[in-house]
Amino acid sequence: MSLADSVLGKVCIVGVGATPQGSLPDHSADGIAIWALREALADSGLSKEDLDGLIVQPSFGGQGDIKEIGHRLGVEPRVGSNLSHHGAVIQYAAMLIASGMAEVVACVYGTNQRTNRNRFGSSVYHLGGNFDDVYGLSNPGAVAAFNYRRRMHDFGATEEQLGAVAVAQARAAALNPLAVYRQPLSLDDYLDTRYVIAPLRLVDFCMVNDGGFAMILTSPERAADLPVQPVTIVGMGAQSSFLELEHPNSMYHPSQLPNAELLWGASGLGPEDIDALYVQESYTPNVLSALENYGFCEFGTAQDWIQSGRIELDGDLPVNPHGGQNRMTYMVGWHNTFDAVKQLRGEAEEPERQLAGLETVLCTFSTGHWQSTWSLIYRGGA
Amino acid sequence: MSEYAKPLPRITELNEPHWEGAKRGEFLVQRCTACGHIWFPPSPNCSDCLSEDYEWTALSGTGTVYSFIVYHQGWLAGYRDELPYNVAIIELDEGVRFINNLVGVDNDAIEVGMRVEVVFEEVAADVVVPRFRPAAS
Ligand SMILES: [Zn+2]
Repeated sequence: MSLADSVLGKVCIVGVGATPQGSLPDHSADGIAIWALREALADSGLSKEDLDGLIVQPSFGGQGDIKEIGHRLGVEPRVGSNLSHHGAVIQYAAMLIASGMAEVVACVYGTNQRTNRNRFGSSVYHLGGNFDDVYGLSNPGAVAAFNYRRRMHDFGATEEQLGAVAVAQARAAALNPLAVYRQPLSLDDYLDTRYVIAPLRLVDFCMVNDGGFAMILTSPERAADLPVQPVTIVGMGAQSSFLELEHPNSMYHPSQLPNAELLWGASGLGPEDIDALYVQESYTPNVLSALENYGFCEFGTAQDWIQSGRIELDGDLPVNPHGGQNRMTYMVGWHNTFDAVKQLRGEAEEPERQLAGLETVLCTFSTGHWQSTWSLIYRGGA
Repeated sequence: MSEYAKPLPRITELNEPHWEGAKRGEFLVQRCTACGHIWFPPSPNCSDCLSEDYEWTALSGTGTVYSFIVYHQGWLAGYRDELPYNVAIIELDEGVRFINNLVGVDNDAIEVGMRVEVVFEEVAADVVVPRFRPAAS
């Protein structure tokens, strides 16, 4: 049985919820997650008693465990589980619904990582011992910095060219009421920003902030009875690559290329069908790898392709039209699905932000060090 | 010499031969005795054939810079005091890639693809850390 037979077209998102993003010092991570779920339930017209699936992504710092969230919600779903990454959460929910094991599944995430002052991973690659910190390697942004340095060598990419990503995301965030950072950023501003891990600058890095998101998924049949316009999963794929530096293509996100083949093959769609792209970028060079690996441009050319506003809101292919994780919010991918649904429903909060003629959207999610990738294609309507 | 404040190797049963080799001026990595695969940093089994039988073998210590980055913000003791500092991915001529530092070269003069060779730095009493410098041509 193929993905097309089993899942594609058979699962809809019928509710999305968001809390404010930024700093929420009066709320626990679990409280934020439940807040987001209340919003998503209200959006869908469903109640917690309708849920027979509840999937939670724990947040950094050990909060957001299914046992705690489930208890506070007072629910008895058929399926209740933690999963560690947003793309896996949505795909598992979709498979539960497509298989008939559950009919209405809530996916929930909340974090107070900013208020908690969480420190992020010293460990970058998987190493036997401390062969990283002996040599001064820390911060997951190092992977993207190695990648862009290699791109500069392999393809003559420049630091100025990379600036197009941060500039585009700042333009988008300026129009997004949910965005944490809404001030403008010119290319000159970008080049004046200090390095953190050269060749990457501060604005190439994701922020750390508080916030939560939730989604409700169900079947098209059940969606037909609900007051909201559904958004349907029409493409799906996953791929992992654990070779890290042993992989011949280790610098260019090796799990994405086979992921793209599966995604396009199963969906019968191609890059020409995609109206907007959401990349879980964390670091701006990841946008370039995604554009190449999913076939929007030739390998080695993304740094040229993104120039002249091509990935901005009014460009050929809007990329992260919410502002991304360096300007909107660092929600490890959850904000991508939220915004894709809002955009496909034509419900962007401000009219200038609403993408025109939007039908089909690709969201791709990855672990911080690229070992695993999940992708989903969404289409407006059932 | 001022005291070395950077993180020191955490010696484990698994990685001890590498650090002991460094004291003798050898860059040791594991080689699978079943299939010949070599790997570094240390891991308890061969990722090619899953055998747990391996031996430690000395590599050439010469290779190239596969990629490199320069930290302008520091999170680690010792390194924090030496900003900006470089971290490189080294690809040895035998093919293994790993994290290390380049010494004896300005950060501005480092290039991807540049030839490098291992140098053994005694950073504290009885602690030797292999690093890399531009190869004598
Ligand atoms: Zn082997």
